[in-house]
Amino acid sequence: MAEPTFEEAQHELEAIVTRLERGDAGVDELTKLWERGEELYRICATKLEVVQGKIEELRALEERST
Amino acid sequence: MKVEATEVDGRKVYSVRAFNSGVATWLNRLPTLWIEGEVTELRRQQRWASVFFTLKDPEDGACLTAQMPRGQFDALELDLREGERVHVFGRAELYEQRGELKLKVLTIERFGLGAHLAALERLKRTLAAEGLFAAERKRPLPRFPRLIGLVTGNDAAAKKDVLTHIVQRFPPANVLVAETYVQGPRAPASIATAIGDLCKRGADVIVLARGGGSFEDLLPFSDERVVRAVAACNVPVVSAVGHEQDTPLCDLAADVRASTPTAAARLVVPDINELRETVVRSREALHRGAHRAAERHAQRLAATHDRLGRAPLLALERRRATLDTLHARLGALSPVATLERGYAIVHRGDELVRASTQVETGDEIDVRVADGTFGATVG
Repeated sequence: MAEPTFEEAQHELEAIVTRLERGDAGVDELTKLWERGEELYRICATKLEVVQGKIEELRALEERST
Repeated sequence: MKVEATEVDGRKVYSVRAFNSGVATWLNRLPTLWIEGEVTELRRQQRWASVFFTLKDPEDGACLTAQMPRGQFDALELDLREGERVHVFGRAELYEQRGELKLKVLTIERFGLGAHLAALERLKRTLAAEGLFAAERKRPLPRFPRLIGLVTGNDAAAKKDVLTHIVQRFPPANVLVAETYVQGPRAPASIATAIGDLCKRGADVIVLARGGGSFEDLLPFSDERVVRAVAACNVPVVSAVGHEQDTPLCDLAADVRASTPTAAARLVVPDINELRETVVRSREALHRGAHRAAERHAQRLAATHDRLGRAPLLALERRRATLDTLHARLGALSPVATLERGYAIVHRGDELVRASTQVETGDEIDVRVADGTFGATVG
């Protein structure tokens, strides 16, 4: 499966959390859902870090050029 | 004078002289009238008995030769200039020797300010009725004009003013200058032509610039041809004619009116320094915006992650609570609870006693209560 985009991952993560909070997930599912949630969180967090890093990098570059 | 014809082969034939004389007689019956036109080709010489000039229709250029006795002309002390508009009082006459029609002038009146104003007012009403001045016709000026057309006099201070200010505000501006007459009888046609030419050459905004001047000086900018050319121009026109208090009709037809040539420059080009500042500000805003957007995403993600951390335990808690409730309900159904309320279960041997008929006096029975069992004898 191709890696989801940030928005897709975030959307799925939020769906999982909502489902867990609503309490209609089967007990056997709980661990699986939680693990998937953590995985999605890592995907999102990594993507965000990369983007934030790029913004800072570009800004530093711009400031040096002016 | 009687016009005599000769009879030739049964046909009446007139001499040229007789014909001219006849026409002259007819013309003499025409009334004396006032005629309005522009004075051109004025010829006056000391040794001539008459002054000659051509009276020209300002609209379509129709011409009429006019002649006036020099003494009368000089007595008027009009000091007429070429192209000046006048009212001439006279009548048609034939110069018999040459068979040419001319206007015999009795008097000339300079077309006065009042007459000019009245004519202007009439024209203004006509053009307004056609909708040429309507607010909904006004178009916005281009923000960054590619080519600015400037219509102005060839050595006018107005030209220098506009050019200097345009270049000062926006050095990369392209300006195409069309030099025209800006006063006098040839001005209207040349201004109208210049507007059309600049359009054809790709100007995307046109500036009409002329410095202040007398009412008569500014008249070409109220000329119907100029006003119509401004209205018909397919790119926006800025009118910077005269001073604040002047309102030539081209001002009304133009898309924007500038009170001075300097103001016109401000209208047609942006200030490059302001542009620079805007760009710098935009860049800062871009940085801030990108940063904020990333921040917001990070916060939302952190909040979701928190919820994810708590959610499985919460879900388990809820399950446990449900389980406890079920367990309690199950407990409520067990016989122990019933015995605790004071009921007893009676056995005779292995047989559960459900009815009094099952036992007789003297039977040994076992009685089970909440905390244990004891034996008894039926009495």
